[in-house]
Parts: sequence; structure tokens; C-alpha cells
Amino acid sequence: MISTVSKLRTFAGKAPWGFSFFGAAAIFLATIVFTDGVGAGQIITTALTFGTMYVIVALGQMYVITAGPGNVDLSIPSTIALAGAVSMKIMDGNDALILWGLLAAIGVGIAVGCFNFALIRLLSIPPIIATLSASFLVQSASIAYGRGLRIRPPEAFAEFATGRIWGLPTLAIFALLLTVIGSVVLHRTVYGRSVTAIGQNQRAAGLAGVKVDRVRWTTYVICASLAALCGAVLAGFSGGSSLNMGEEYLLASIAVVVIGGSSVAGGQSNVAGLWGASLFMYLLVTMLNTFGVGAGIRMIMTGLMIVAIITIAGGPKPSRT
Amino acid sequence: MHERRADKHEFSEQGRPFHTRPHSMRLVDGSVPSRTSNLNAVNFNIKGNETMSKYYAALFAMTVSVLALSPAHADTSSKKIAFSNNYAGNTWRQAMLASWNDVTPKAVADGIVAAADVFTTAENQATEQAAQIQNLVLQGYDAIVVNAASPTALNGAIKEACDAGVVVVTFDGIATEPCAWRVTVDFKEIGYRQVKFLNDLHPEGGNLLEVRGLPGTSIDSQYHDGILAGVKDFPKFKVVSEVQGDWSPTVAQKAVASVLPSLPDIVGVVTQGEVGFGTAEAFKAAGRPIPTVFFGNSQAELAWWKENIDKNGYKSLSGSIPPGMSSMAFWVAQQILDGKKDIPKDLTVPFLAIDAAGLDAALASTPEGGVANINYTQDIAIEAIAAASKQ
Repeated sequence: MISTVSKLRTFAGKAPWGFSFFGAAAIFLATIVFTDGVGAGQIITTALTFGTMYVIVALGQMYVITAGPGNVDLSIPSTIALAGAVSMKIMDGNDALILWGLLAAIGVGIAVGCFNFALIRLLSIPPIIATLSASFLVQSASIAYGRGLRIRPPEAFAEFATGRIWGLPTLAIFALLLTVIGSVVLHRTVYGRSVTAIGQNQRAAGLAGVKVDRVRWTTYVICASLAALCGAVLAGFSGGSSLNMGEEYLLASIAVVVIGGSSVAGGQSNVAGLWGASLFMYLLVTMLNTFGVGAGIRMIMTGLMIVAIITIAGGPKPSRT
Repeated sequence: MHERRADKHEFSEQGRPFHTRPHSMRLVDGSVPSRTSNLNAVNFNIKGNETMSKYYAALFAMTVSVLALSPAHADTSSKKIAFSNNYAGNTWRQAMLASWNDVTPKAVADGIVAAADVFTTAENQATEQAAQIQNLVLQGYDAIVVNAASPTALNGAIKEACDAGVVVVTFDGIATEPCAWRVTVDFKEIGYRQVKFLNDLHPEGGNLLEVRGLPGTSIDSQYHDGILAGVKDFPKFKVVSEVQGDWSPTVAQKAVASVLPSLPDIVGVVTQGEVGFGTAEAFKAAGRPIPTVFFGNSQAELAWWKENIDKNGYKSLSGSIPPGMSSMAFWVAQQILDGKKDIPKDLTVPFLAIDAAGLDAALASTPEGGVANINYTQDIAIEAIAAASKQ
């Protein structure tokens, strides 16, 4: 058993993203066997649609986690709620205002990101506490802003969010572009390399001339902006914004990053793995729903599966890469 | 279920005032909903003008009589009531707080009570709410209205409050501590009615999908029990799949989408909470015909329903606990402080049902993006208490 795990870990060490895809495929097959092949194509399409939301949010979370131990953004759910409400209100059901609504959402993200970093840097609050307390403030802001009312998206925006191109969800294509850009930025730009460098050793990176504060600031802003973008898209997708629509993205965003093969200690990231992990998370719920297990068992199974895949894929990592 | 339902019939045949008098319930916009013929729900219905003016006459007469014999008010004028709320992060809870803020300031201004303050916990944690209740006792409140984070975890704090002589009234999220009062609606009945409605619509029966609420809550299991009872009484229907919707449209949309590919034809989706719209969207996205989906009184659902009635005569029902239940709990607390100690610990108030006939009235009185609501008045509370005491 132990040798199997270590063999798997060796494989995981070579391709850390592989496991999430492997897990997603296994779960998909189990579901299809159970349904005798019924609905296979449709399961994939819905998985791509809903997995996309995870991917967008987790991309930002991955940047933050990569920036080193202790860095995490817990304000994502409330940012999603606020940005969703603001964008829907600005769009006001009017197709001509869609762009302004999206810009406003990203504006919300930038503001939240700056606020998060101000708490972390200026007041020297650990990120986990800073972003959690920021989330209370952001949540209160969205309650005060929208009074919990559900505002409907403009027709064209809802169509974009639920539409398909060549049978694939438009959102998935959009998110794929986003991850390609995210990957290039992370691996090919000075900023991206700096994020990884800081994550591996902040002091060394600083001594090597990386502007640590500026890089971390940008990272928190990128993360909150992507969460905000997800908020707008999610509101378009589900027919309106609501105060609690971001709730499930708190743990999901972290789980997707870790299952996707990024190191939770930072300094090592994996963009491709986000897709595998997002599909894994969604298909896991699909499988358990299809099997018809009750809520309690479903939660236990979800927990166990996540622990299992992290144990195999996570493993002990070399302290330096 | 049968025994219970027989009770209800007997109950309305006796002509209980709460259910038969037209003034017993007023909507926020001033229109008067009528009782449905059988069960304990308040219905939106459009009345002819003539009937309407009769209702107003009755309402006026009642108001006069209440004013004439209201000797008890002075007794609670020095009493302070607090509202301990565990969560504010959704549309329903916002409407619940709005109802409290619509009703209670006037009661304070009129000198009925001295204070009616709201305290919401930040994290929806039972431990935090227990500490909050202890603080409210120390601050000298005479009664605490509680929407509880857990049916059992607050019992200790509530018992301490009772021992300190504080009246505790729980509603919506109720607490099982025997010293507390519980104001709620018959969730089981809403579940049962959905299956019954389907039986009338599709006498040939068929497959059902059940969207459940938040696991582990008493509300979720009551709805579920009602649906089970319905399926037992109408065995042509079969629940082929159950998903967890958490009473949230986005969560439900995702959960329904996840099972749809593997499901056979579905004739109806039995639901709880405001998940109807998300459920219908999931069917649409899957390219399936939209079955009879039940609604939870949110404006988004009602607007969708209205659109589809115009398009294809879509038939459904909507029902939920009105957020204004907070104002009912407030008046119940005030009545207990007024010395009415014999009030039964469990008060079941009619749920708010909307049928096709009442849809326009409900839409007109519900804010865009909000939830259909009723604010309760003191005389409604007095009648509900009287009705429950006789039971």
C-alpha cells in the first residue's frame, strides 16, 4: 500500500496536475457506468459550465497562495456577492450598459484587493485574519448596497453566460483564454516569476531585488478582480445576483488550487491543474447526486475524496525546487 | 397525515375567527388576502371591488373595536424586547429584518413597548448567538425574540434566559428548549400540498425530483416529511432523485443540473425555498421540457411564472414562510409580557401561499428582486394566540 502511494507520488511529482484529471476521469467513468452511458455528453457540458466558475476564482486564489506561506484570500465569497450586485445594478437590465457593469465589477475587485493588502501591509495583520475581516466589511457593504434584492441581468449578458459556441459553453472558452493568459503571466513575465520567487523565499527574493510589496499588492488585486469578474458572470448565469451566491467558493477555491497540484506552502503553481481540479470537484458532486446518496454521506465522501487526492498528489515536497 | 388533516377540517368548520374573518390578514400594500377553503395558508386572491369594500368595512369595524377594548397596552410600556438574529445574508432575511423595522418602531412610538432592538451575529454560529443571548439578558431585556442558528445548540443559553425571568420566543429557526415559545408555519403542509397539486394536474402520476433545503435543519425534514406523506397518499408519484439546494437559487441550479443528465422524464419538481427559478433554468439549459416546478415566493420566481403563464399557461403553486414572521414573533412576545402566560408554546401561523389567481396581486406588492411578504399586526397575533389556545 505504502509503496503504491509512493509510486503514485513519484508520478505526481513529475506531473502534479495529472492527478486531478485522472481523478475527474475516474469519477466521470463511474457515473457513466452507473447511468449505462445515458447523458454522458451532457454531463461533460454541464461540468465545463459550472467548473468554469471554480476555475476563474481559483486562478486568483492560486496567485495568492503561490505568493508564499500564509497568503490566502478569504474575502472571495463577499467580493463575489458585492461585485454581482454592483454589476447587475449598473447594467440595469440594459444591453448597452453591459461593459460598464463589467468594468464596475472589476473596479469593486480592485478596491477590495487594495483594501485587503492595506490591512496586511499597513496594519501588519496576517492575511488570513485581514481578508476574513475584510469579507465582513464587504458583505455588509453589499447588504447596504442592494438590500438583498435580486437584480436581473440584461438579456444579452444572460445569453452570453448561458450560451454555447460549437456545442461548448461560451463561459468555458472565455475561462480557457483567461487561464492561458494567467499561465503566460505567471511563467513568462517578470511579475509572475516574482510571485513564485517570493513564495519560495520572500527574504531571498527581496534581497535579489524583487519589489516584494508591489508584487504582493498586485497579486491581491488580481485575485479580488477575478472573484469580482466571477460574481458578475455568476449573476448573469443564474438570473440575478444574490447575497449568498459566493458562499461555496471559499473552500472550493482553496481546494481546487491544492488538488490542482499547486503547493499550499506557496512557490509552486499549476495552472492546468485548476481545470482538472474544478472538473473533479463538480463531477464528484454529480456522481454522488446520481448515486442518490443522502446529504450526510455526500459530505463525508466529498471530504474523504479530497483528502485522498491531496495525500497522493500532495506528498512530501522538496523544500527547494 | 390523515389524522392531522382531519383536525384541520374540523378546525375550520368550527369557524375559528382567525381563519374565516376577512380582516385577519393584511398585505403590505393594503389589499386583503383571503383564506383558502381548506388548509392553513393565506392566499393572495383578487377580489371584486364590492367584496373589497366590504372587507374594508369589516376591517374598519374591527379596528374600532380593538381600539375600544385595548386595556392591556399600558402593561408592557416599560418592557424592552430584543431580537437575536443569526444571519442576514440572503433576500429572505433582509425582508425579515425590514418587517421588524416596519412594525416595531411604531409600537415603540405608540408606547406599547419601550424598546425593540435588533442584534445580528456576524458568523451564523450557534456559540456566538448563545453569547449574544447571555449579553441581552445582562442588558436587562424583558423578552428576546430569536431566529436560532441551531434547534438545540442554543438551548442552554435560552434556559438561562428563562431562569432569569426573560421571555424567549423563537421563530423560523426554532429552538427545542421547552421554556421557549415557537412561532412557525406548517412546512410539512407545504410539501404535502405540492404533491397533491401534482396529483390534480397529472392524475396519471410520474417521476418527481426533490430539491431539499439545508441539511440537518428541522425545516428541511418537515418539508421532506410532507412530501413523503404526499407520495404515500398519491402513490402514482415517485421521487426518483433528491438534491440539496440549500434554499438558494444558485446552489439549486447547480445541483439540479448535476443530476438531470441521468434522470428519466420528470413531471414535477417538489421544492423548498426560493429555488424554483434556478431549477427551471437548469432544465432549460439541459434542453429538457420544464416540468411543474414549485416556487418559494421570491419575486424572481413569481415574475418567471407570470411570463410562462402568458406564454403557455404554466401551472404551479408558490408557498413559503413569510419573512414578516419576525413581526408576528414580536407581537407574541409582547402578548406574553402582557401577562398572557397560558399561551401555548407552539404557535402555528398560516404560511403564505400564492396561486395563479393571486399572482398579479402578489407581484404588485413584492419589490423587484424581493420576497412576497406580510407584516403582522397586534390583533392578528391576538387572534392567532386565541386560535392556538383553543386547539
